[in-house]
Amino acid sequence: MKRLLKKVLFLLLFCVSTLFGEFETSGYIGLNSQSYLTLPKGKHKNNFTAKQEIKLKYTKEDFSIFANIYAQEDYYDLSNDDTKHNDRTFIRLDELYLKYDFENDMISVGKSIKFWGALEVKNIVNVFNQKDFRTDLLRSDEMGAYNFTYSHYTENGEISAILKLNEPNQPMATFKYAYYTFAPFITYEDELQKSDDNYKPSIYLSYSGTLDTEYALDYAFIYENGYDSQRYFLPDGPLDGSPVVFKQYAYTVNKFMTYNTLVIGATLIKLEALYAIVDDDKYIANYSHIAFGFEHMIENFLDSDTTLGVIAEYYKYKIYDDDKYSDLELFETMQNDLFVGLRYSLNNANDTNIIGGAIIDTEYDEQTYYMQFVSRAYDSFKIEIDYYYIEPSKDTLTPNALLGRHQRIALDISYYF
Amino acid sequence: MKIIILSLLIISSIFALSNHEVASKSDAAMSGFEDSISKLTMTLINARGQEKIRTMKMKILEGKEEDKSLMEFLSPADVKGTKFLSYEHVDKDDDQWLYLPALKRVKRIASKNKSGSFMGSEFSYEDLSAFNVKKYRYSGDATISKLGDKEVYISTSIPISKYSGYTKLVSYVDTKTFLVQKVEYFDRKNKLLKTSYFGKYNKLDSVYRITKITMKNTQNDKTTILVWSDEKIKNGLKTKDFHKRHLKK
Repeated sequence: MKRLLKKVLFLLLFCVSTLFGEFETSGYIGLNSQSYLTLPKGKHKNNFTAKQEIKLKYTKEDFSIFANIYAQEDYYDLSNDDTKHNDRTFIRLDELYLKYDFENDMISVGKSIKFWGALEVKNIVNVFNQKDFRTDLLRSDEMGAYNFTYSHYTENGEISAILKLNEPNQPMATFKYAYYTFAPFITYEDELQKSDDNYKPSIYLSYSGTLDTEYALDYAFIYENGYDSQRYFLPDGPLDGSPVVFKQYAYTVNKFMTYNTLVIGATLIKLEALYAIVDDDKYIANYSHIAFGFEHMIENFLDSDTTLGVIAEYYKYKIYDDDKYSDLELFETMQNDLFVGLRYSLNNANDTNIIGGAIIDTEYDEQTYYMQFVSRAYDSFKIEIDYYYIEPSKDTLTPNALLGRHQRIALDISYYF
Repeated sequence: MKIIILSLLIISSIFALSNHEVASKSDAAMSGFEDSISKLTMTLINARGQEKIRTMKMKILEGKEEDKSLMEFLSPADVKGTKFLSYEHVDKDDDQWLYLPALKRVKRIASKNKSGSFMGSEFSYEDLSAFNVKKYRYSGDATISKLGDKEVYISTSIPISKYSGYTKLVSYVDTKTFLVQKVEYFDRKNKLLKTSYFGKYNKLDSVYRITKITMKNTQNDKTTILVWSDEKIKNGLKTKDFHKRHLKK
């Protein structure tokens, strides 16, 4: 009996060490507090959100499994009074995928997030994943998408074919939340309405690499055939103040995209551009979006060890049929915008950074100013403080005008493990 | 008497080594590891003696003149999984990329300025890049002196890059093994900025590898101790193991 027990224990230990020998976990638990100094009537003047993220990674030689789960709880959702609810409490599986690396190739299957882009303020070619409207609208927060990816690696680059199998619904918070921008008589239904077959996959082909010349260049070209990341909303009735339901619509495109970074000394020159040919849609015309900018680094600014990054970017969006939806109906905020910003890095043990900038809409005369402070405390806590001021257009109903004149101060403290 | 002095002068001129020769021999003494995989522990000590620990995994591929390296941060927890890939070049700026796991983003880095602090430590990116004789100018002979009980060459080298944080480096090199024992770094105002003390060397497969460097900044009284552990060399790593794909792995 003892021998059998020993054998079972040994087998168990062997299994556990085999299974969990290369098992990694990481994540954070955080609290976010936001106060809105100016905002439209009927909204909560502050907001408190608890958030958690856990990442799991299992590696066995060239085979890996990744999982990433995010959850958040909104203070007002705990209230017994339903009218106070923000509907911002949820748990979300962002990633769960299997990956196998061959010598010059890679395949992955499952739900994942992919990043494409080079610029700092907005990555117009980062189209693979949709944003979650229930989190902070002023920050990027993306939802995973189910896909099959095959990549072949060349000496200096990568060729990939991706089959995206789903377009996730984009839930929104309720009117009480500061970043719900529809009018109070509008109810949003998050079930995505697709122009094509529900099961039509989106295909992405990408080619990226590095040119090793006197000035180094990182380049990437992507072709997409499938559902566009840009969406539009339609009401089920007239917008005369009586209750209506808004639904989100997706249409298909052939899209050509590129993003590039050129290194000239201490300066990075960046370009992102796309051109979309829309498959016959009543509301959406072909469009292009181009953005370019630079980031210049100045070492030992004000003090030894510190670095100042000077950043400037310009965005231009154009629609090729005036009879169809314009940038305003499509909620495109960076349609003719200039960004100038500074990033001051103290390069200290706490990785302290102070970031400030202004986004100036040169067409609709509106401005966004912001300042962020990011640092670490006691090695395990990350602290972020930010201030935003948005001055919307006075004579055009832009997305910022829907939000209203907006000022906020936010404090975010997270414990990382 | 004159004959003795003349003989001594001739002998000393025969055995004297130029600064360039000392640097070349020192470089050769540390070369031949082909590639290396190790764990790095960095202890940051501020002027009040408070300590912070940073850990990393590091892979290096030795090139004829230009090394490649891939570093993965293990702690602090908020930067866990961040990776830094560098291709060193002698005749142009290094190629550098940073992988930010929270954003899934590979970001190109401008590497022109090399004097910036590495992770808030007293080491700069320049200090951590592989030593290469061609990156410095040399003139004259090294002098011989004593450092503790060791006889050392004192050799001066001047960085060629105008973006270096230093005007000169004064190295103390063991006359027998040509292993560096100490380096003094002089800032752009030609004042002593910091001094690195090289601890124990391990002989792995007939190649000397450093196991500990203590960097003391004389201007701000901060110290950083860098310790290499579990180092393995000649692992058969190839250029492919330093492809950008490994940033996302």
